[in-house]
Amino acid sequence: MAEEIKAPLAGKVINVLVETGDTVEEDDEVVILEAMKMETSVYASGNGTVKEVKVKPGDEVEEDTVLLTME
Amino acid sequence: MHKYFKQMDSLGKGLKDKFKKRSQENAGQLEQAEQEIREARETVKNFGLPGEKINSRGQLTIWQRLEILIDEGTWRPLHMVYNPADNEDCTTNVVDGLARINGRWAVVIGFDNKYLAGAWVPGQPENIFRVTDLAKRLNIPLVWVVNCSGVKLPEQEKFYAGRRGSGTTFFRHAELEQMGIPVLAGIYGTNPAGGGYQSISPTVLFAHKNCNIAVGGAGIVSGMSPRGYFDTESAKELIEAARRHQAQPPGGVEIHHDETGFFRFVFEKEEDVLNAMRDYMTKLPAYDPEFFRVDAPKPPAYPAEDLYHLLPLNQKRTYQFEEILARLVDGSEHMEFWPDDGFEVYTGLVKIDGLLFGCIANRQGFLPEGYPEYADYPGIGGKLYRRGLIKMNEFVTLCGRDRLPIIWFQDTTGIDVGNTAEKAELLGLGQSLIYSIQQTDVPMMLVTLRKGSAAAHYIMGGPTANRHNAFTLGTAATEIYVMHGETAAVATYTRRLIKDEQAGKPLDSTVEKMNQLVEKYHETSRPLFCAKTGLVDEIVDLKELRGYLQAFAGSVYQNPASICPAHQLILPRIIRK
Repeated sequence: MAEEIKAPLAGKVINVLVETGDTVEEDDEVVILEAMKMETSVYASGNGTVKEVKVKPGDEVEEDTVLLTME
Repeated sequence: MHKYFKQMDSLGKGLKDKFKKRSQENAGQLEQAEQEIREARETVKNFGLPGEKINSRGQLTIWQRLEILIDEGTWRPLHMVYNPADNEDCTTNVVDGLARINGRWAVVIGFDNKYLAGAWVPGQPENIFRVTDLAKRLNIPLVWVVNCSGVKLPEQEKFYAGRRGSGTTFFRHAELEQMGIPVLAGIYGTNPAGGGYQSISPTVLFAHKNCNIAVGGAGIVSGMSPRGYFDTESAKELIEAARRHQAQPPGGVEIHHDETGFFRFVFEKEEDVLNAMRDYMTKLPAYDPEFFRVDAPKPPAYPAEDLYHLLPLNQKRTYQFEEILARLVDGSEHMEFWPDDGFEVYTGLVKIDGLLFGCIANRQGFLPEGYPEYADYPGIGGKLYRRGLIKMNEFVTLCGRDRLPIIWFQDTTGIDVGNTAEKAELLGLGQSLIYSIQQTDVPMMLVTLRKGSAAAHYIMGGPTANRHNAFTLGTAATEIYVMHGETAAVATYTRRLIKDEQAGKPLDSTVEKMNQLVEKYHETSRPLFCAKTGLVDEIVDLKELRGYLQAFAGSVYQNPASICPAHQLILPRIIRK
């Protein structure tokens, strides 16, 4: 079942650290968001494979925007 | 109580290769910044006459003396580049730090006899006050290596007199003695006037056979008949008188050992003085560390080198404080206090060399949804909110009750602002934390990991907590200022921008001033600036941080002024419920 990793806050995507097909483990950094003047990492919530990356650096995202999906 | 301390919770996890690879550039930048700071310290260390020149006179340098005096591997220097008077030709001409001497911790200070035979210089009294304050706060002996030619006469007006002049240091020695804190002094060379009082004001005097101490030196004794002017004839008289007195300066061992008995001991060789002080340390009050240990000492489970990957030099990047802590404390173990509230702040119990400490730190990054509870905006780590302030107040108070010294880690942008925050009483809660700290009367130390900013720098155990903060360390990533330079430029110049625009004036000159202010903030918040001006007591390599925590641990538990029996501690029971 696909798992969605969402933006915890509205902000700007600074870096995407994974690509489709990458294997990730729980607590791996997957995206770096700039919000409230700080660059903050978004982490994988479990082990799996990246199914789809839905954002790219420079994108402005709202809170709860899906950043990527994993399976 | 061993069940609490031998079974603490694990902290942190090993770094993955891909993380290390991604953070390699950061690690390199931090190491480069540390290298530049080390070079600045080395310049200070080598200042003055070459060591060979001092040795050719039959004397050791201060650094050679310290090497004999202190236990190998225990020297934790402080104030190496401290230069509050901005002296061009030297720093404060004293060397100081924490060190173990024959197994006992002490605050150690000595005059740098490579420069003007260890003269008093501008800024030096402030350095000495920091050192006497440190001995007072840690309740451990102060050990002097005296070799002091007295006032650097052409600059006497900058430090001789006044409430915080060089003479005040003798009163500080007396204050330590009143508190039962001994001041030992090894005495070398010629110590006239101020140098004489530097020598006599300590508790026990260990003299080298060639040293002398006196109210006035040869220079004064030979020239104390002022005529209102100098001429060739009087100059020749001076030369003759000086030759007589310099041949045998006043106050040698034949007087101050054989007659007055001021020198408790006299030794033939320089090394013997230091070895005698080492022996004497065992006569001074100190607990065996086992008396206070709650567990066997053990190193952290993860290497200190990881810190270079974990602490971002980029001030905008966040990180996980618990991963930093896991590289510093025994066994990478802790007991967290209030883990489910006050999320922007870490509070917990940790062990250093088997000794128990309270630890408080800023967390970074996103905070849980709905936090802070009083606002409709999200919270972010580094800032302080209502629940975090209450949590720190409670933890600090309980540490005071349990007599647990506190280690603070700062990386803070300040306390939340705006009317919503004011309604949430943050101003009052900040001052409450100051009151809480003040009433604990336990020693504290601070590591400013990165930012020390706004009132948060005051209330989170910063050096402004004079009576409690023993010392403050910075890192190569430290920056300290009231606010970020850009914020300061906005606060300073926005009204002028509005006026300029209303008057139809070009904005260029105001914009230029704004950029100049930003640049000034940058320059005056850098690690070396912080160390030079005393905003921190030393900038420390990340891999050396644990060594300083160990020095603090050994010092505060060596002879604490008050004790809470381990079986009467309340904090571990509150945490474990």
